Amino acid sequence: MTLPAIILCIACQFFLVGGQLFLKHAMRDTAEPRPKWAVARGLFAGIFLQSLWFFVWVNLLKDNKLSHIFPFEGLNPVLLVLAAWLFLKERMTIDSWVGILLICAGIFLVSSS
Amino acid sequence: MTDGPAARLPTQSNAPKHRPAILAWLLNPYVQILLGALLATVGEVLLAKGAKLAPSIGGPLFWLGPLASRWTWIGIVAYILSLLSWLYVLRSVPLSVAFPLINVVHVFVPLGAKIFLHETVPPRLWGGISLVLLGVLVIARPLMKAEKKL
Repeated sequence: MTLPAIILCIACQFFLVGGQLFLKHAMRDTAEPRPKWAVARGLFAGIFLQSLWFFVWVNLLKDNKLSHIFPFEGLNPVLLVLAAWLFLKERMTIDSWVGILLICAGIFLVSSS
Repeated sequence: MTDGPAARLPTQSNAPKHRPAILAWLLNPYVQILLGALLATVGEVLLAKGAKLAPSIGGPLFWLGPLASRWTWIGIVAYILSLLSWLYVLRSVPLSVAFPLINVVHVFVPLGAKIFLHETVPPRLWGGISLVLLGVLVIARPLMKAEKKL
């Protein structure tokens, strides 16, 4: 795989996870009713990022083998754990670090073969 | 319809008897996990097929090119069906059980690419795929505990 393709594959997972986080955030239950535009803004951001993911992904599929780029989807749980650590101040466990190392090693093997 | 809850109750309790066996089997959430994984695999394989078959178009709208293939659209439908199946599964199966199971897609998709797209999957690639799968499962454990608290 070429370096730009690898970078795009990784960026793609950021769009996908970012989109999911926006959608989840917009759809959450809140005690206070929120203005409609606040919900719509979150949904719009989520759908925009997911569309971005789709078009980048489908164009990656054009030039790359599916079996080579699909393992990059394994980065999703990595990004979720890191987002929870950075934004929600959740504590990282040894399990999370071991998992991240395994996935990154796996993706390194995949992208170099 | 004037059916109140009382009027509908007997039909509901009779429903399982009249429901064809195949439908009862299809509504089993564990069968749905497997079907959802297969649908996601079909979706990925068709998106890849469509993207490769669609003619390349130049200009600023080149990124819309893959939409010219009908395989891409069937792939999108398969993807949406797999999402609906996943939502159905999450209604009754805890994420701590469903998430590890749905990750069979990390094995199904490369297999699908090998069988239907005739991609070569060398041992080194299978090694990488196994490491990713293992890593996802290790990470999933604390994530799933967090989900239970929500």
